[in-house]
Amino acid sequence: MSGRRIVITSGKGGVGKTTTTANVGAALAKRGRRVVLVDTDIGLRNLDLVLGVEKRIVFDLVEVIEGRCQLRQALIKDKRFPSLSMLAAAQTREKEAVSGEQMKRVIEELAENADYVLIDCPAGIEHGFRNALAGATEAIVVTTPEVSAIRDADRVVGKLAAASLPLRLIVNRVRPEMVKSGDMMSVEDVCDILQAELLGIVPDDEEIIDTTNRGEPIVLDDQNRLAAVYGKIARRLDGELVPFTNFETPGFFGKLINRLKVG
Amino acid sequence: MMRAIETSIAAPDGVPEPGPQSVTARGRAIVITSGKGGVGKTTTTANVGAALAALGKRVVLVDADVGLRNLDIVLGLESRVKYHLLDVLEEKVTLDEALVRDKRSETLYLLAAAQTREKEDVVTAQMKALVEQLRDRFDFVLIDCPAGIEMGFKNAVAGAQHAIVVCTPEVSAVRDADRVVGLLPSDWRPELIVNRLRPQLVKKGKMLSVDDVNGILRLPLLGVIADEPGVIVASNRGEPLALDPASETGAAYRAIAAKLCGQNVPAPTVNVPSGGFFSKLGSIFGGRA
Repeated sequence: MSGRRIVITSGKGGVGKTTTTANVGAALAKRGRRVVLVDTDIGLRNLDLVLGVEKRIVFDLVEVIEGRCQLRQALIKDKRFPSLSMLAAAQTREKEAVSGEQMKRVIEELAENADYVLIDCPAGIEHGFRNALAGATEAIVVTTPEVSAIRDADRVVGKLAAASLPLRLIVNRVRPEMVKSGDMMSVEDVCDILQAELLGIVPDDEEIIDTTNRGEPIVLDDQNRLAAVYGKIARRLDGELVPFTNFETPGFFGKLINRLKVG
Repeated sequence: MMRAIETSIAAPDGVPEPGPQSVTARGRAIVITSGKGGVGKTTTTANVGAALAALGKRVVLVDADVGLRNLDIVLGLESRVKYHLLDVLEEKVTLDEALVRDKRSETLYLLAAAQTREKEDVVTAQMKALVEQLRDRFDFVLIDCPAGIEMGFKNAVAGAQHAIVVCTPEVSAVRDADRVVGLLPSDWRPELIVNRLRPQLVKKGKMLSVDDVNGILRLPLLGVIADEPGVIVASNRGEPLALDPASETGAAYRAIAAKLCGQNVPAPTVNVPSGGFFSKLGSIFGGRA
């Protein structure tokens, strides 16, 4: 049976797509799933850095598509998780170098030998976004509890619906103390605006900056609270019913919600 | 704590005509770009723009992120936007009809992006002509660039003469910024703003320092902005921190504005002695990039 093909997208950049892809992928691999991560951000790749494999890239996605190498030659195996591998994006090419149809074929081929293919989407809703969606059959939308991120996510949710891709939501970088003081939207508010099913809530943690800079997915550190958070997301993806940690309080952000409805 | 929502649509605002002394001096068009998304381009555009206007400059902020606009939200002007960039480019309305005047400043204007259109709808040559036209009427035209390096980036850069590159102290942001600098016209000398610095983390060796970042990018340093939750709060409220006299971050934006006006400004002080050297940083550019 062919594996699941999930695109990780957001609209707005810098909300944590790549970090989410790396950590959810690693958490799934930790559970023994065969996982392939695909960086589709041609020209601005970063998934290799977050996984710490940047020096081991020999071939990239564009070279696979152009037939310059075999798909298996371009896959980089993660040394820490035997069932995790990644396909890097080209750094010096343009997103237009690849068509949706070509991308779809690569993703389908990868899914033949994997349980999960996670597709790291570029920011924006241009050509690169459409390519990233082409091979996917479901989506994870990552957003932060900020007005601008939610507005962009809303636009992406509409585009995913138009493409008939089912989606679930990860609310990233939640600061419970700011939610409590009324300075940040609650997860409830975010889900309400986007009308989307929740897959995970990831608290803001400054450790993530350091681990990302070092190329070590935070799920490697069993002691870290985020490792547990990503572990739960992996279990939910696998179909388990896992209750949500209630570190967010039901904050009232009615006016903010109104602002989004105006726009 | 949230400000009230503007429900009425403001009457069309007049745009300042060039004063007699500035007939010959055309404005400067500056694109604010980064490669990586979410590093603070829009927040920077809003705050630097507001600070320039507070210095008496005539400023127009152009949101070039067609389809994913946000500059109107950060400025708190979302309910006043009636027309947008594409309406002007497609000659459905005049420039004056599309320009939205800021609530707080008489010399600050916004030209919003279309929310329900695609970046591919913008014709680069038209965008360039529009920026040219704006330079006749404003001292500063700040163009808020979308993330990425696709068509939207090319359109945003088309009419500009100068670039401000916004980068956070993260390896991925530095790598993307480096790529963007390489895509800008080779005779430009882009200036750098290091955004969201956490001096405490730098001290502990857990974050790149300004020197680490600029050791790679090697650009003239225009400013350093510290990471503080107040920025998110201000953006959610639509009130640029640059206008808050009590805010240190606001002062950092005002210093950037003064520098852009040619004033002598002391070097940014948020910097901490380079303690954490990330040996990894050098190697990410040494590969096949």
